[in-house]
Amino acid sequence: MVTAVMNKFLVFLEQREGIVKPSSISVWNRVQGLAALDGNSVVSGILAGPVEIGQLDGALGGDGVIYHAKEDGLRVYNQERYSRVIADLFEREACTALFFADTAMTRDMAPRLSVRMQASLLNGNALGEGDAAGVSRRVYSASFLASFVPTRKLRIYILSSSVRVVEFPDGGRINFIDIEPLQSTLKDLFPVVRRIIMGEGPPDVAEARIVVAGGRGMGGVESFALLEQTALLLGGAVGASRTAVDAGWRPHAEQIGQTGKTVAPVLYFACGISGAVQHLAGIGSAGVVVAINSDRDAPIFNVADYGLVGDVHIVLPKLIDLLKEFLKKQ
Amino acid sequence: MNIAVCVCLVPDTASVVGYLDGAVDYSRVNVVMNHYDEYALEEAVRLKERVEGSVVTVFSFAPDSAREVLRKALAIGADRAFRVSCSGGGDLSPTEPFLTALGLSRAIAAFYADRLPDLVFCGKQSTDFQSAQVPSMLGELLGMASVSGITSLQITGDLLRVEREIEGGIEAIEVTFPAVLSAEKGLNEPRNTSIRAVMEARKKIVGLLEVSLHEEPFVVMSGIEPLERKKICCFVPDEHELLRVLSHECNLL
Repeated sequence: MVTAVMNKFLVFLEQREGIVKPSSISVWNRVQGLAALDGNSVVSGILAGPVEIGQLDGALGGDGVIYHAKEDGLRVYNQERYSRVIADLFEREACTALFFADTAMTRDMAPRLSVRMQASLLNGNALGEGDAAGVSRRVYSASFLASFVPTRKLRIYILSSSVRVVEFPDGGRINFIDIEPLQSTLKDLFPVVRRIIMGEGPPDVAEARIVVAGGRGMGGVESFALLEQTALLLGGAVGASRTAVDAGWRPHAEQIGQTGKTVAPVLYFACGISGAVQHLAGIGSAGVVVAINSDRDAPIFNVADYGLVGDVHIVLPKLIDLLKEFLKKQ
Repeated sequence: MNIAVCVCLVPDTASVVGYLDGAVDYSRVNVVMNHYDEYALEEAVRLKERVEGSVVTVFSFAPDSAREVLRKALAIGADRAFRVSCSGGGDLSPTEPFLTALGLSRAIAAFYADRLPDLVFCGKQSTDFQSAQVPSMLGELLGMASVSGITSLQITGDLLRVEREIEGGIEAIEVTFPAVLSAEKGLNEPRNTSIRAVMEARKKIVGLLEVSLHEEPFVVMSGIEPLERKKICCFVPDEHELLRVLSHECNLL
């Protein structure tokens, strides 16, 4: 007997500069995991813009079709074009849920799609309870965990980045199908990206596997060189507390916490950060937290897995030397 | 230029949201203007100061008890402020992004009659629930362009040049009027209000706008519980030991 498929999941695979974002690939695999759980769902993907699909070899688990809108007009993010391509495909394939990674692009586009498609928009971690799938999310400076459920038949999910490794079916058959370019001409009223200025070097703090962050205890802009060195050795990114950003030591793009970014690295170093509740709001999803602080009573130690009491200006140079030695032996 | 600013109220991030008898306890909470909305308001007022004949109007689902927060908006430089209230429905103010955006879109549409404002400013998100959905939803509902999380704004003629932070870089975007812009930290440095400005704000109007809002929300909060964040910290004596646990025990390096 053939059972009817209940859920049709569509995953948006975001690319920037032709590279599909690891966070989107992670969402694809998490959605495959959800589909495998309920056994009653199919997963498709949508890729917008001309990209080399070979880069996805071996990265995507499960079976599915990926619809590829290759047209050059989608090379760079365009809110209206992207929204149209996604909404059109969603409707044509009679999908029931659309999944995004939590990125700047998603946050710009998904709320408009929610209204346009009359779909419930949920951000957080999917609870994976089949058809009524809700999400959970930290609220009130990450001091509470709230759960939310959709009221509409159609849903849009923005999945938080997560350090948890998900179980998903092994790489199965992924078929790529090209989709036709957009027919309609667009009105001028929509925002158009004219230029993208990408930073050089280390990954963005919101996407990094390892984050080395500094706060008031760093004492000044010069000391952040120690964090940059540590981050470089570990392939991580530098982060900063609000104090460090407001003092002008670091750019806002690196700020972690309530009025900055929420990060989810596997390893987080808090150097000279006291651990104000507003800062902790941004690191609730971090894996292992290491705190280095001269004040043994600093609140950061209450949320750290490992603590080292000491002055960052003395501890970090030693740690850097040891790290260099350690990495040389690897 | 007609500029609308949407403002929401949140618990001060420094105050403690408690948990008592299985429910969230707000008794020790100090309610303030959402931090990101201050950047939105500041930018609107700066524009008004540059472009003669501009009027800045604030819209907020603020209860009567929070009138002081709207006075603050007027002291910063808004010309008038409106408390938006839902008629007919259950709650007087929506707590869910879609209904918030819908209610605000109706208040704005009703206030400006047949003509949309040139610009609508919002904070990029509220600091309490951080869903970051209202500004773009509002754009879609009003049929206006929207750009989220802007860190810079320049206006040349009919063209708005804005920048927004993306992962690892900056996007420079061009958009035309009318538009909804949501403000990220870094857009400006909000001013401190002088006593004189506060006094003058007392003469300005805080009005009431009623909108009908009978629609169902898109999302319902089904539960909330306090999070225990405390971990047992394992103190290591020195850098050698730290490196050893991270590499050998945690397998992270």
